[in-house]
Amino acid sequence: MANTRIIRACMVVVFCVSAGNLMAQSLSVKDTLAKKDTTVKRPSIAQDTTTAAPVVKKKSFTKNTFDGNYIIDNQTVMVPIKGTLEFDIQHRFGAVDHGFKDLFGLFASATMKLGFSYTPVNNLQVGFDATNEKMEVDWNLKYALLKQTRDNTLPFSVTLYGNAMMDTRAKDNTTLFVSTSDRFSYFYQLIVARKFSENFSLQIAPSLAHFNNLPGYLDAAGTVQQIYKNDNFLIATSARYKISEGSSIIVNYDQPITQNPANNPRPDISFGIEMRTSGHDFEIFFGNYSSLMPQNNVLFNQNNFRTGQFVLGFNISRLWNF
Amino acid sequence: MATSVLTVSMASFAFTLVQQTKPWPVPDKNAKTTNPVKSDKESLAAGKSLWNLHCASCHGKTGLGDGSKAAQLKTQPQDMTKASLQAQSDGSLYYKISEGRDDMPSFKKKIPDSEDIWNLVNFIRTLKK
Repeated sequence: MANTRIIRACMVVVFCVSAGNLMAQSLSVKDTLAKKDTTVKRPSIAQDTTTAAPVVKKKSFTKNTFDGNYIIDNQTVMVPIKGTLEFDIQHRFGAVDHGFKDLFGLFASATMKLGFSYTPVNNLQVGFDATNEKMEVDWNLKYALLKQTRDNTLPFSVTLYGNAMMDTRAKDNTTLFVSTSDRFSYFYQLIVARKFSENFSLQIAPSLAHFNNLPGYLDAAGTVQQIYKNDNFLIATSARYKISEGSSIIVNYDQPITQNPANNPRPDISFGIEMRTSGHDFEIFFGNYSSLMPQNNVLFNQNNFRTGQFVLGFNISRLWNF
Repeated sequence: MATSVLTVSMASFAFTLVQQTKPWPVPDKNAKTTNPVKSDKESLAAGKSLWNLHCASCHGKTGLGDGSKAAQLKTQPQDMTKASLQAQSDGSLYYKISEGRDDMPSFKKKIPDSEDIWNLVNFIRTLKK
């Protein structure tokens, strides 16, 4: 009997508190609407105001020609908005042509790169990368020179990209460094792109790689002969096709132009999927390029797509806006 | 019987606690700002693209507040389809998107063009049920 009374008393208390809580909430909302919160408006009132609308600058530039800074191994024409800090994690596994011997390259030695870039002013990005391949680091600049307009008065965008890469390995018999400048190489690219539709974008990028110092060999007469030329040209072609709001198919074809005395670099075909979110850009793909520094790919790529020498790779970019 | 009633009572008590939402005052000036971007096909397409990129992960693709990240948040994302939300002025929605609060991030740096935020507001109007 006593227990029943206690339970009843508890029920009354709980109901009272619950009801009181609901009433308090209701009153609070009414009070807020009446006094503080001006956010809830009747639809008829919402637009019936006299406040002058802010001047909205009608942007004439085409947006989102590509989803990020990278399209597999190439830079895109895009320069992030001012104040964007980007952190890139890139990975290339071994070639798949050894099959199960190294589980299609997954157990082979891999190339990795970490990079940071920042856009301090509109249209200009500065960056720094480091890769485990030959302990190389680079400093890079990217500048959006021209932007495609919506009304097609300018039907394409143009961006300049350049880097200076340094081989930081210790000086020994294999590295052939005589002076510090021997450690440096450079990569320049003129990127021309057009967004043809909401789904399809294409870019072509004439590119130049310059190495200050390259290996050679001694001929029968004891004269030093070049294997590679110091300047190598290449045409990079990239395309994106959106298959949904957040996903795209991405492809590249990179054709070397310069004929070298020996070891001519091979062209690259790559293809994959890109997924974009508010703060990330993910790409996973197959391609022939196994290096993560562009000048290395221009000059040293020996993976042949005709014999199936593709590597699995991924790029992850994290973006912050300051 | 008494135990069941007690359980239901406590559940209703807990429910009233969960349902409390913190008011989000918007300055009069911002709330009364009119939307200068016409809600046409181009604006809605741009708004939809921005919604899918920046908003859908929390608010859900159709605005129900059921995005993939919603369960990880301290606050339940707003259901954009509700009449009470849709009754807010365009200026209020613009202000909230731009400034953010608590789990809702500020988008004024991520979406720097005001035209884009208005496009987003125009798209949010299409989520009404």
